[in-house]
Amino acid sequence: MKKLRVTVEGKAYEVLVEMLDEAGAPAPVAAPSASPASLAPVAAPVASPAPKPAAPAAAGGAGDIPSPLAGKVVSIDVKVGQAVEEGAQVATVEAMKMNTYIYAPRAGTVAAILVNAGDGVEEGATLLRLG
Amino acid sequence: MPISPELLQKLAERRKTAMLGGGADKLEERKKKGLTSARERLGILFQPGTFMEFGLHAQHDCHHFGLQDKSLPCDGVVTGVGYVEGRPVAAFSQDFTVGGGAVGRIHAQKICDLMDYAQQSGIPVIGINDSGGARIQEGDDSLSGYGQVFFHNVLLSGVVPQISIIAGPCAGGAAYSPALTDFIIMTKKNSQMFICGPDVIKAATGATVTMDEVGSAAAHATVSGNIHFVAEDAPGALALAQRLLSFLPSNNVMDPPHRPAKSLTLDRDPGMNDLVPADPKAPLDVYQVINRLVDDADFLEVQRDWARNIVVGFARIQGIVVGIVANQPMVKAGTLDIDSSDKGARFIRFCNCFNIPLVTLVDIPGFMPGLAQERGGIIRHGAKMLFAYAAATVPKITVIMRKSYGGAYLAMCSKDMGADLVYAWPCAEIAVMGAEGAVNVLFKREIAAAEDPKKKAAELAADYREKFASPYEAASKGMITDVIEPAETRGIVALGLRNTLSKRETRPPKKHGNIPL
Repeated sequence: MKKLRVTVEGKAYEVLVEMLDEAGAPAPVAAPSASPASLAPVAAPVASPAPKPAAPAAAGGAGDIPSPLAGKVVSIDVKVGQAVEEGAQVATVEAMKMNTYIYAPRAGTVAAILVNAGDGVEEGATLLRLG
Repeated sequence: MPISPELLQKLAERRKTAMLGGGADKLEERKKKGLTSARERLGILFQPGTFMEFGLHAQHDCHHFGLQDKSLPCDGVVTGVGYVEGRPVAAFSQDFTVGGGAVGRIHAQKICDLMDYAQQSGIPVIGINDSGGARIQEGDDSLSGYGQVFFHNVLLSGVVPQISIIAGPCAGGAAYSPALTDFIIMTKKNSQMFICGPDVIKAATGATVTMDEVGSAAAHATVSGNIHFVAEDAPGALALAQRLLSFLPSNNVMDPPHRPAKSLTLDRDPGMNDLVPADPKAPLDVYQVINRLVDDADFLEVQRDWARNIVVGFARIQGIVVGIVANQPMVKAGTLDIDSSDKGARFIRFCNCFNIPLVTLVDIPGFMPGLAQERGGIIRHGAKMLFAYAAATVPKITVIMRKSYGGAYLAMCSKDMGADLVYAWPCAEIAVMGAEGAVNVLFKREIAAAEDPKKKAAELAADYREKFASPYEAASKGMITDVIEPAETRGIVALGLRNTLSKRETRPPKKHGNIPL
């Protein structure tokens, strides 16, 4: 409660003013509910955590040969330590009722094979590594 | 009294000065770098002695920042008409030796005037881009100039073929003029194309990127898909433009330059039978099919290095110019994905604009599955293929070589999408889905109840395959014109093209359809 002096047209009035807290304030009027023609708000669905890769994660290192698409490894067509020419077939992945042959992007020696026949692989997963 | 020799002398001098562009020194410097000049490029493009120049005496009209005292011959761009293989073609060639080839008001006006002429005359336009960008001294006159060029690009789109050659810098807004044309040929050497270069990207985002990553021919040819052809250098790019023109009509009311032989050969090509692997899982290299199908294995592939699961390009089949659209099972199993749908649809629409019959070669297991595809909008992008084929009124001939499944069967121009003729090889598989998937839906209970569910599923799948992994079910319902041997394909497609060439199809009038973009 506050005591204030208010002067109106030269005449002073003493008034008491009560400060109302928020709880005491009149309840705000709810906005009219959205009309049916308005756009429903949406947020982009949160991406599910990446599935555990069946095969080693995305290729990145030099010499890594990635799978160009998600599929099942049919065969690894080379052995560790084998020298390959550029363009030599090194693996076969089956996807969409079709075999996709994987070729060496450059000449080199097979340093590591990271998947086995029958494994499922994601797009970009490293299949083999050239030394 | 004959004309005063003095006047003739003056004209000769003016011509000489204008032809030197930025001056003999700058031209020499360019030569030392191994670069061709703006005029040399037009000389390579056109047959000797055919060039008719527009605006040799053009000059800028800028009075700001010291430019008022400077001469910019031809205002930095050479424009005119010349002949390519006996047909007139309009071309402009930006001159980097004149103020860095920067675009000012008159420069842009010259390009627009040329495009107006090309539109009225119904001749193709080739733009050779080699420019530092906007002429900053001219301020918004330069900006307005770009806007007018863009507007003309759109005005001419679908009326005359427009080909852009990027043979130097093409940065910022300038890159949008080539983007509005039908084809972009970019040189490996000395050219970049980007909206925001490495410096701007660094300033705006903090990321460090190289020019090669952002704006090189390699980046645009393999990753962004912005360009259609890569050439070593400008002469190579001009040779490609000539080759491209050899397949195109001068405008949208003319036929492409067919060269039909007097008599058609229907000879069998046994080599085509040999190409088809017995194992349905072994991929067929569609390039080998195309090379046997088209005349002299002469196939001009468009966007060869991008979205390689679809192959598109121009060729002739017994003399008739065609646009080929083919699935490539060697890459991503030949599926349609976002990029390959965009690539295919754009090519189909170009062919339709310019009366080029479409030959579609089908070997497709379906649309590419995956979260990235779905979230990337494969529905919207794949729809472009359906839209483009359905909207095309040129002759459409489809050859179903092997797989043709589900929505992808429709997206590769089935009869329902308006194909005039549909041929299928005996190894064609036309079905709504693969056999294993289909029986799991159809016979879920039977399989679950069986003693050996795996065996039961395999048996049912074999039955399903027997019925649908052949073209005869579809042929019995009239979806296939004929089942043919691969060896007969070239002869039958050639005959089909001749018979369909007089096709006239009209549609309800409208401004334009609303292709999903």
